[in-house]
Amino acid sequence: MSLFLRSLLLSFCLICFAVEVSSAHAATVVIVSSERSPAYVSAAEAVISELERNGVSRYDVLQLTADEWSTAGPLAPKLFVALGSAAASALAKSVTAAPVLCTLLPRSSYERILQASGRKSSSQFSALYLDQPLSRQLELIRLALPEVHRIGVLWGPESQSQASALKTLAHARGLELVEASVGPDALLFPGLKGVLDSAEVLLAMADPQVYNSGSIQNILLASFRAKVPMVAFSPAYVRAGALLALHVTPTQLGQQAGAIGWGVLQNKAMSASPLYSRDFSVAVNEYVARSLGLTLDGAALRERLLRREGSP
Amino acid sequence: MKHSIALIGLIGWTSHACAQAPESISEKDFLTEIPIVLSVSRLPQRLDETPGAVTILDRDMIRRSGARDVADLLRLVPGFQSSQSYEKSPPVASYHGAFDYYSNRMQVLVDGRSVYSPFFIGSVGSGLQAVAMADIERIEVLRGSNSAAYGARAFLGVINIVTRDTLDTLGVAANLAAGENGIQDVQASIGWGKEEARFRLSGDSKNDDGLTGANGFNRTNRLNFRADLHPDARTDVQLRAGGLMIDSGMGGPVTDIQNPLRSISYDSSYVQFDWRRNLGEDEDLAVSFSHANESYRDKYPLSLRSIGIADSVTGLPLGIPDGMVVDYGSGQSGNDAVSVQHTFRRGSALRVVWGGEFRSEQVTSKSLYNTDAAMVTDFTRLFANAEWRIAPNLVLNAGAMAENSSVSGDSLAPRVMLNWHMTEGQTLRAGVSRAFRPPSAFEKYGNVRFVVNGRLLQISTLARGNVQPESVLVHELGYLGDFPKFGLNLDLRAFHEQISGFVLHKQYDLAGYRGLVPIRPWDYTNGENFAIHGLEYQLKWQPWRGAQFVLNQAYTEIGSKDVDIAMSAPKLATTLSFFQKLPGGLDLSLIHQDSGSQSQLGAGGKDDVAMTRTDLRLALPLRFGANRGELALVVQNLGLPYPDFMPEFQFQRRAFVTLRIEN
Repeated sequence: MSLFLRSLLLSFCLICFAVEVSSAHAATVVIVSSERSPAYVSAAEAVISELERNGVSRYDVLQLTADEWSTAGPLAPKLFVALGSAAASALAKSVTAAPVLCTLLPRSSYERILQASGRKSSSQFSALYLDQPLSRQLELIRLALPEVHRIGVLWGPESQSQASALKTLAHARGLELVEASVGPDALLFPGLKGVLDSAEVLLAMADPQVYNSGSIQNILLASFRAKVPMVAFSPAYVRAGALLALHVTPTQLGQQAGAIGWGVLQNKAMSASPLYSRDFSVAVNEYVARSLGLTLDGAALRERLLRREGSP
Repeated sequence: MKHSIALIGLIGWTSHACAQAPESISEKDFLTEIPIVLSVSRLPQRLDETPGAVTILDRDMIRRSGARDVADLLRLVPGFQSSQSYEKSPPVASYHGAFDYYSNRMQVLVDGRSVYSPFFIGSVGSGLQAVAMADIERIEVLRGSNSAAYGARAFLGVINIVTRDTLDTLGVAANLAAGENGIQDVQASIGWGKEEARFRLSGDSKNDDGLTGANGFNRTNRLNFRADLHPDARTDVQLRAGGLMIDSGMGGPVTDIQNPLRSISYDSSYVQFDWRRNLGEDEDLAVSFSHANESYRDKYPLSLRSIGIADSVTGLPLGIPDGMVVDYGSGQSGNDAVSVQHTFRRGSALRVVWGGEFRSEQVTSKSLYNTDAAMVTDFTRLFANAEWRIAPNLVLNAGAMAENSSVSGDSLAPRVMLNWHMTEGQTLRAGVSRAFRPPSAFEKYGNVRFVVNGRLLQISTLARGNVQPESVLVHELGYLGDFPKFGLNLDLRAFHEQISGFVLHKQYDLAGYRGLVPIRPWDYTNGENFAIHGLEYQLKWQPWRGAQFVLNQAYTEIGSKDVDIAMSAPKLATTLSFFQKLPGGLDLSLIHQDSGSQSQLGAGGKDDVAMTRTDLRLALPLRFGANRGELALVVQNLGLPYPDFMPEFQFQRRAFVTLRIEN
């Protein structure tokens, strides 16, 4: 057999093998998770359930972690869903033919990833945020604590960029901001003291420089002593002692991501501009509420907020 | 939002924002669990759900009152009597009756540690001086018997002093006061720390010339240290230590052995260790240990002739000198306490705190007990209190404390209280409780005798040891109304406190008494049964911005046939306070008190006096760079002098200026 024929045969075998491999991974949707911890698993499960509801088979969805993705062979799905910052970052650095929906990550993480990868948000690479829109947070305060007019905010280096937007939104609602900035290596206490002296509620904005497992005890205790309840961004804070939290659960986010994904599979373009979650939850610490003389119902607050936003 | 009281102590803060070397923001900030902070034991009970009446004196109120010590501040609590005299003990306060010089039917706690002095017949006086006013965050006064939660000493109430968190006192702060009547107060504190550990050291000296007519000079020096440690996310540790020194003048023109002009000194020191661990979302465990020492010195030279012995006693045996040194009540006491407390909740309807305490008290005083042996009283306590939300508007508090006293045996103090939120902002409270107070070591074993060169001069007290615990059965009805629309808030308590076997001191004829001074010694016995009943309320009204009126009134009827006892609380006491924020940040306080006739503390019905006092305070806020402060003029008792403690002791006008520099 000539060398040419041998080469041809080998190529044929290789192609056959490659087809074999890719058919084993002929996934329509690839979900890349930053890790396999419960929140990511719940979100992925919700994406799959939503797709299944629309007739996509569970076997057409491939789940990988970000680490597995970096070593995986060529994949040609119709959609990538990135769960978490590490997954989104890995996908942003790769060349993918299919659209990428990044979710289970906050806005600032997404923007940082865009910057690092030189990408722009587009119908090929977009996001569904984990954090909640500022306007929704203010509306929740108005609904739950109608007598409150002065909202305290502690800005850190990462959250500071939202300061002017929050101020504009607050003023539009007749609310006043009592702000303090905590710089890198700065003391948190003086700023917090100033804020708690005149604010009626403390709106926590995620920023690991300000809110972390080491500082949260002091912030919560100080705010409780000052009778300034905290409105936070995660149910963990409510369990720890915050009065309220506005948040979206991984399942809620996964469902919406699944619905967007189904649209992509139907050849509907993704929104080029990133989205905030349509659905959300309101967590209430009823013990804290009671000790402050308040009666709050998280489900009812969510319903009222949804109605206000014109959702069904 | 309503006030509420802490079930158990507090903890503090760390100051540095970035000990965890945080990374950039990511979903972790939203998804990661964080430690429970406002856990089951730290979450307070709302004032309209507590099993009894509670008055909160917060920092703001303390500042605006102009009061220089806690006893004086307690005048502003409905149903309280208080004194500024250092004559027998540091100034005392009592609730529903100043039955004696010492006030031994109330518990005083500082950050959960009992500072009730077991010396003499037991007293709140020294405990009320345990911390500087500037170190106090708030005082929770539990009006009414609270033995179910705090043991025998909470027979008629509890004064719970909570010091400031180390978080709130980082940096340097100072307070100065100077003015009439020798008032010279200096206080300074420094706070420092980082994430896992923060500290405060506070020291002060409080001086004045005391009441006119008394052998006045009172010097109080204090040093208190507090550390808040946070070894891990679920554990809090607090360490406290401190000392208190009080020197004061005492006595009058010499009339008997026990009361010449002299100075006395009282020292105490303590260490306290608290550990608390969060066992889960609904469960906390706390362990506390404390040790304290007290020493009391009252020794003075005395001429026997000056008290009439040489003149009145014929045949004075040779060898008895005219001069002698009298030791009247010098001695030491110590106490050790260890307690364990478990707090948990089941669902949203039930919260339970239960635990135990062992407390050992030793008093050694040759002059009080005529023995060098320590008088030891051990208390073993088991307690449980449950807060059960039967319905959203109905809360039942039920609890009991079983106590064993090595001196007087077992007792059980139960309490049941039902709080019904009739409408939004209106609560009706009804309940019943029972409490016992075992006699103190002195009431049981007191043996005070004066001997010179082996010759007995007199026996002042010789307790025969027959005294039994006294008890109180309390029925109370409370109403709390909050009407934010009208700026009104009402706290009302109607009470019937049936006391059985009231412990009182009584003179008796001692058979075979051969003292040179003819005297009938005192004994402590169980007297008659009587009831204290009445009604007290506090009405707060904010008629306009920056203004607040507070009206307290207490109608108290002590149904004793003994006029001394019957008159130990005024039938009607009224306090009207007015606070107003003025332009330029000026802060005005006017407090007027009018108390009806009352027998002086332990002095008897013959010396009944009424009290009228008006205090004025005008304060100007200041700024020292980044620090805030305040300059204030305080005038205590704008009107005529009024008698305090004894008819011949007068509280004159005291004007002084204070300067406060905040951290």
